[in-house]
Amino acid sequence: MSPIMRFILRRVGFLFLTFIVFMLIIFALPRAIPGNPLSTLLSQLFQQAQANPELIKAVYKRLMDEFGVGKPVHIQFIDFISRTLRGDLGTSIAFYPRKVGEIVAAYLPWSLGLLIPATLTSWIIGNSLGALAGYKRKSAVDNLMLPVFLTLSQTPYYWLAMILLYVFAVNLGVFPIGGAYSSGRIPSLTFEFIADVLSHYILPFLSIVLSAMGGWAIGMRVMVIYELGADYINYADSLGLPDRKLLRYVFKNSMLPQITGLALSFGTILGGSLITELVFNYPGTGYLLFRAISTLDYPLIQGVFILLISTLLLANLIVDFVYAYIDPRIRTGYLGE
Amino acid sequence: MSLLEAEHVKAYYRVREGFVKAVDDVSLHLDRGVIMGLAGESGCGKSTLVNTLMLNIRPPLYLIDGRITLDGNLLSKMDKQTLKKKVWGVLVSIVPQSALNALMPTQKIIDLIKDIVHAHTDISDSEIVSMSRRRFEELNLPVEALNMYPHELSGGMRQRAVIAISTLLNPKLLIVDEPTSALDVSTQKQVLKLLVDLRKAKIIESMIFVTHDIAVLRQIADRIAIMYAGKIVESASTDDILYNSKHPYTYGLINAVVTPEPEVRKRGLISIPGEPPNLLKPPSGCRFHPRCPYAMDICRREEPPLVEVGEGWTVACHLVASGRR
Repeated sequence: MSPIMRFILRRVGFLFLTFIVFMLIIFALPRAIPGNPLSTLLSQLFQQAQANPELIKAVYKRLMDEFGVGKPVHIQFIDFISRTLRGDLGTSIAFYPRKVGEIVAAYLPWSLGLLIPATLTSWIIGNSLGALAGYKRKSAVDNLMLPVFLTLSQTPYYWLAMILLYVFAVNLGVFPIGGAYSSGRIPSLTFEFIADVLSHYILPFLSIVLSAMGGWAIGMRVMVIYELGADYINYADSLGLPDRKLLRYVFKNSMLPQITGLALSFGTILGGSLITELVFNYPGTGYLLFRAISTLDYPLIQGVFILLISTLLLANLIVDFVYAYIDPRIRTGYLGE
Repeated sequence: MSLLEAEHVKAYYRVREGFVKAVDDVSLHLDRGVIMGLAGESGCGKSTLVNTLMLNIRPPLYLIDGRITLDGNLLSKMDKQTLKKKVWGVLVSIVPQSALNALMPTQKIIDLIKDIVHAHTDISDSEIVSMSRRRFEELNLPVEALNMYPHELSGGMRQRAVIAISTLLNPKLLIVDEPTSALDVSTQKQVLKLLVDLRKAKIIESMIFVTHDIAVLRQIADRIAIMYAGKIVESASTDDILYNSKHPYTYGLINAVVTPEPEVRKRGLISIPGEPPNLLKPPSGCRFHPRCPYAMDICRREEPPLVEVGEGWTVACHLVASGRR
């Protein structure tokens, strides 16, 4: 077997194990929250069907069967695993009778549409500014930028979101207060609708870009300063390599950890932006997860978590490959055993 | 005719408390075809001196004073861009102390070579490849190393690759800074042989070899300069330094080294008491006087002049200046 195949198999095998452990946690945690998820649903049904107690009994029995709540826990878990692996995330309790997969699919595009561009933008801007500050270390530019980076990186993103909302939406009224588009509008590909979506988009987008940017910039600045003082740079300098070549070396090596960071943050953005979506009432997966938890909707909670964790694991896997591709030292470490 | 001429060079590190006088009024000249050893304890300014000689200095190190001429070029007046384009890598190259980490880690050796050659000349990539292959073969280095990454090479191999890369454009002067310190004895031998071969093949003319290991210099150097606390205290042919040294410090340094001579076996090793001074506040007069067994009154007051005691043999010591030794 070629070393590359062995490397891939080992990674994927490890990924599968991790996934099973995650499934156990996903399964156990919601069930640790006190309360019966079916009670709310039942009380609604009860009001509608007061006349017919037989019907309630029948419905209750059907629900218990469908959600498997009455069965022993280990049977529930095995059911859960086998259904998940077949791609069936079950039926939502709060949105009964809609399927979990269908609900998540409706919310997911909003999250991705917000988070991927925002993360990329903050990564690009943060790294560029950080590299500049590191290169011009101790100059006026650096002295000005560093405190800004530090402040931004230490600002809680939800707090920044609330400030932005308060200033630009509540006080100045430049942007709408929340949602992904004005209520009453029907999603379509018209210019008006797109403009409406964009005006709802800017504040949540900015809150993520700004709060994530500082961290990227600080990391990049430190890396650049470290690499600038590295032995290989001094050596290349002493052999007369032009400064732009030296900078290219520095950036190439400084970028390596940042690329890992980017891939990892893609894995965590879906869950990480939960509060941003709550503050802006933005209909993404974070918002959905919040609703699922507050209604104890086990299948929906599990569904959203499975999605989050799958993206995280997938991102990790991609990082491994990307890293091995761009850094020959890592490549040797992976393939050399 | 000398290749390198340094006159009254002062290079200080600027720190909060003042200046660290790592190189203080050093004059030195190096003839063509000569391998000169530069020896001294750690922290005496050896590395600073050789880097200053090629103007390879970065803050907080500054050239305070002095004239440095290499092959007719007045280096001490050149700006960094000119040095990089016309001098470094072409007239003078250095093999740095940290040669094991000196190669760009995420690039193949040959790509680093291409970047270096392109910085000085306009020859094509394929020519650079064949030129590098020829040079590696000539120096008995494995040609495959050119297509490898630095981390794929062993320590000794990396060290030799750095030497080959530094001398690729046939610089007149090669400066090697402690090239053997991090290597085991058999690898040391290979590196020393490589350095000697470079001169034999006329790839380089002269060499300055920095080390704290006098035993290594015996094998390779024509001349030796001894440095103490930022100054050159004695400079002579290797034999004179080893067997007839005039300066008490040189004498102490030689006697602290294990050599196969029977007299050394008889008397054992002698170490120099005390430790090197703080260069932020060097001692008054002769900098060696607090550790010198022969220190006189004048040594505490006046700096000893550099006296010529023979053909190409200079010593800075009051004992010698006053004719007592």
